Amino acid sequence: MTTLMINGEKRKVNASPDTPLLYVLRGELNVMTPKFGCGLAQCGACSVLMDGEEIRSCIYPFASLVGKEITTVEGLPARWQKQKNLPDDSERLHPVQQAWVDEQVPQCGICQFGMMIKATELLESNPRPSDDDINTAMTSSGPSPHLCRCASYAAIKDGIHRAADIIATESKTSNLKQAVSHE
Amino acid sequence: MSELQQKDDMDKIKVSPTDMNIHGAKLTRRGFLGGAGTLMVSLALNPTLSFAKTKSSGHSLNATLPASWIEIHADNSVVIRTGKCDFGQSSIYTAYRQIVAEELCIPVESITSVISGDTDRTPDGGGTFGLLRTNVLNLRKVAAYTREAVIALSAEKFGVKKEEVTIKNGVISAGTKKTSYGDVVSKQALSLDIPVSGELTEFRGLVVDGEPPLKAISEYSIVGKPVKNPIVRPKVSGETTWVGDVKVPGMLHARVIHPATLGSTLIEAGKVNKTKYPNTQVVVVKNLVAVVSSDEYEAVKAAREISSTTKWTQWEGLPTSEGLEEQLKTKEKWTDVPPIKSGATKGDVNAKSAKSLQHDYFVPFHKHAPIGPTVSLAEVKKGVITVHTHSQNPQYLRMAIAKMLGEKEDNVVIRTYAGPGHFGRSNGGNAGSEDEAAILAHTLKVPVRVQWMRHDDMQWSTQSSAMHSNIRIGLSDDGKIATYQAVHSGPPMQDDRPIGAILAGLDTISPPTPDNPFRVHNAGLFIADTWVYEQVENVAETGRGMFQIGQHESPIGVGLRDHSMRTPIQFQQNFPREAAMNEAAALVGKDALQFRMEHVKEPRFKAILETLRNESGWDTRPSPAKTAKSDGDQELRGRGVSIMLRDNGYWACASHITVNPSSGVVKVERITLVCDPGIVVNPLQLKRQAEAGCLMGVSQTLHEEVAFDKGKITSMDWFSYPILKMAEVPTVKVVIAPDKTAKIYGQGSESANALVASSIVGAFYDATGKPIRRIPLRPNYVKQALA
Ligand code: FES
Ligand code: FES
Repeated sequence: MTTLMINGEKRKVNASPDTPLLYVLRGELNVMTPKFGCGLAQCGACSVLMDGEEIRSCIYPFASLVGKEITTVEGLPARWQKQKNLPDDSERLHPVQQAWVDEQVPQCGICQFGMMIKATELLESNPRPSDDDINTAMTSSGPSPHLCRCASYAAIKDGIHRAADIIATESKTSNLKQAVSHE
Repeated sequence: MSELQQKDDMDKIKVSPTDMNIHGAKLTRRGFLGGAGTLMVSLALNPTLSFAKTKSSGHSLNATLPASWIEIHADNSVVIRTGKCDFGQSSIYTAYRQIVAEELCIPVESITSVISGDTDRTPDGGGTFGLLRTNVLNLRKVAAYTREAVIALSAEKFGVKKEEVTIKNGVISAGTKKTSYGDVVSKQALSLDIPVSGELTEFRGLVVDGEPPLKAISEYSIVGKPVKNPIVRPKVSGETTWVGDVKVPGMLHARVIHPATLGSTLIEAGKVNKTKYPNTQVVVVKNLVAVVSSDEYEAVKAAREISSTTKWTQWEGLPTSEGLEEQLKTKEKWTDVPPIKSGATKGDVNAKSAKSLQHDYFVPFHKHAPIGPTVSLAEVKKGVITVHTHSQNPQYLRMAIAKMLGEKEDNVVIRTYAGPGHFGRSNGGNAGSEDEAAILAHTLKVPVRVQWMRHDDMQWSTQSSAMHSNIRIGLSDDGKIATYQAVHSGPPMQDDRPIGAILAGLDTISPPTPDNPFRVHNAGLFIADTWVYEQVENVAETGRGMFQIGQHESPIGVGLRDHSMRTPIQFQQNFPREAAMNEAAALVGKDALQFRMEHVKEPRFKAILETLRNESGWDTRPSPAKTAKSDGDQELRGRGVSIMLRDNGYWACASHITVNPSSGVVKVERITLVCDPGIVVNPLQLKRQAEAGCLMGVSQTLHEEVAFDKGKITSMDWFSYPILKMAEVPTVKVVIAPDKTAKIYGQGSESANALVASSIVGAFYDATGKPIRRIPLRPNYVKQALA
């Protein structure tokens, strides 16, 4: 038996060690937002964060990820609240998710879990990405472009810019709160 | 229900003097209930009477009862039910709620849930297409009947005339007297029987009859608002159960090993290595071979291995994708299927003209290519087969599953879940995996989940039909079109046979044939691109159909199966028409936008063309551009225009592109879309729909072509079937400019998807001075066109 760190929790896994993380998450651990799209690292539907870096869970044997911090869309709100020292709030979404709601980004939505993971990776290193930065992140930074068949790309761009706005506002408030509490 | 039974029921129901006739629907009261403890009381409490003649009564809702469609609770919350599903259009969660709330005169927020698709929980059936065109009329009428009944009951309660009762924002009042829907329905046992016709499990499902008075459009206050889609939040937070997420105890995971070619039969299935794959077995039903395991990844690995040792006969019978255009142009005889002329055909297209052009155009097969390959779970419990899936026509799928298994439709239930958009592929019920799951669950007597792999979805699903078109345009001295002649030729629109049923040799409906009475399943090719240039005196448009390519030759009757996609057939026919219009304008030295303006009569077209001219920054001049040339490695700029009429919606599109002759790379820089779709139900959702629909059109125009050799489809993954990527996305400006007098709800994404291709090839001609008469604009085709 192996232990994985998924969304801040230790999870025991029984699967055979060559099983890709995607099958472990969905089949054994009931973490369902990473989706099966191609199983070939060609689309990004299965993306998760590994220590903050976007990877394709459909091709990574889970046993190679022991000791790594895995985050899926289920874990994004807690990740944000921890990063910003915010109180636990199960209703509060990660800025990227909130932006996806505000901008009504999804069409069918199947690709959006991977899109939100990639957007989170981008915004954590670059809180004010330009259109070009977004193009690079979504097209050429990973093993393949992140694909959306519904072609909601324009909305995804709007979503990322909106998320950057939310992050800027929430960071200001949380910095302010921290400054106040340190006084 | 038999007629005798129906008469029996009619006898049992004594029409009491207190019954009311509500515009042809019958309102029956059966005494009063107390006000307390009736939170779940709905308008219809006694589902005893059915006027609907339908084959499927078991596990179905009674569509004659308004409560089957609209359920009003004592707390004023409302549930609506529709057999249509969501694929990303959002309409059933936004526009449908707005339209029903409008008819009931209640706030849209009171409609707290939408139950969709499930065959045992929704009343109407029919496919998910034309959502705002025809389908929403059912719910709208039911809402109108319901409102009228509630007005009648309130008038009686208030002791006033019906005309004195008004409803605003959910408050029912007459003078100082006030009540609410919840109040009216919670205190009485009511039954309102509404007239419906049609067959639940047929392609188009049931239709609500009669003419209840509909709210005047001038009084609308909810339709037209940018209501947000309530299912977005649960989707992005991860709460939504997607079709691939459904699990039931004891279920097995299956991977199907599809035949080696589209005409292969099984010689011998490979064996399982039980040491390596202890939980795995191979199931064979004629040519349907499946690998089934309690562990999903074991099934994946075992299937990979077993597929390499499974033996199939070889088959060749396809013209190859390289040979397809020539096949349609010169080799097909077009004698099997009678040609169809369009309604626009008039005058004498052989009349002499000063100048003329005649060219061939080609659109290849396209894949629906959902990001998630089809997946379904089937289980059999107490003789009832339940299929958990994602379908655009669940009642029709129910028919297909029952037919395939030789079961009564009463014993089949289809449950639907959120799933990947696949743009029409399942509007005839199935997308691929449903029937295979049902066959395996039926055979093994355990629940079975079938997940297609990427290559299964690319190689074994249906595709959007290819088309060859010949367009001849004659122009008079003054630069006007004197004659227009189009001959469109290609395979049929839609094959709704479930693939698993074909492979397993089980019963299905027929593939498209020349004599099929049902138009969607007829092999005849109709003209789907409505003629818009009414100034032209002499017009002839002909569609020439055929059998599906390779289907007759294939020993298993498969071949290249066709299926409608997004703007079926109109995409394929608008492309050549509008591309030829661009060339005709250039031939007489006219600006392409102005040329269109001169040939339309409809003021709505003139209005959107004028708006397009302004909004796109159109520079009025003939094509090609002064800078045009066909060589060098400079990026050359061009702009093109196209128009389309679909579902009474008027659309115009301008594309600005660059072409690099030496690399053959085409980039789309910006697109301006202007639409006058009629009544805009939800501008926010319409904008997102149009934007995405248009970008999918860019994807088809730049990249997409199904590749196949003599036996099989060779587009297997996202490298061999590339689609649009983020870095290639142009700026899209959507201008919604509805005609204020329109009486029809506007549809969204389809036209946006279809007309972009022709504006891009117009821009290509403008940039280079050379026409390209086929898509996709991949570098190799671009270089051929420029050579
Ligand atoms: S499913 Fe992993 S990249 Fe497509
Ligand atoms: S929203 Fe449907 S695939 Fe991206």
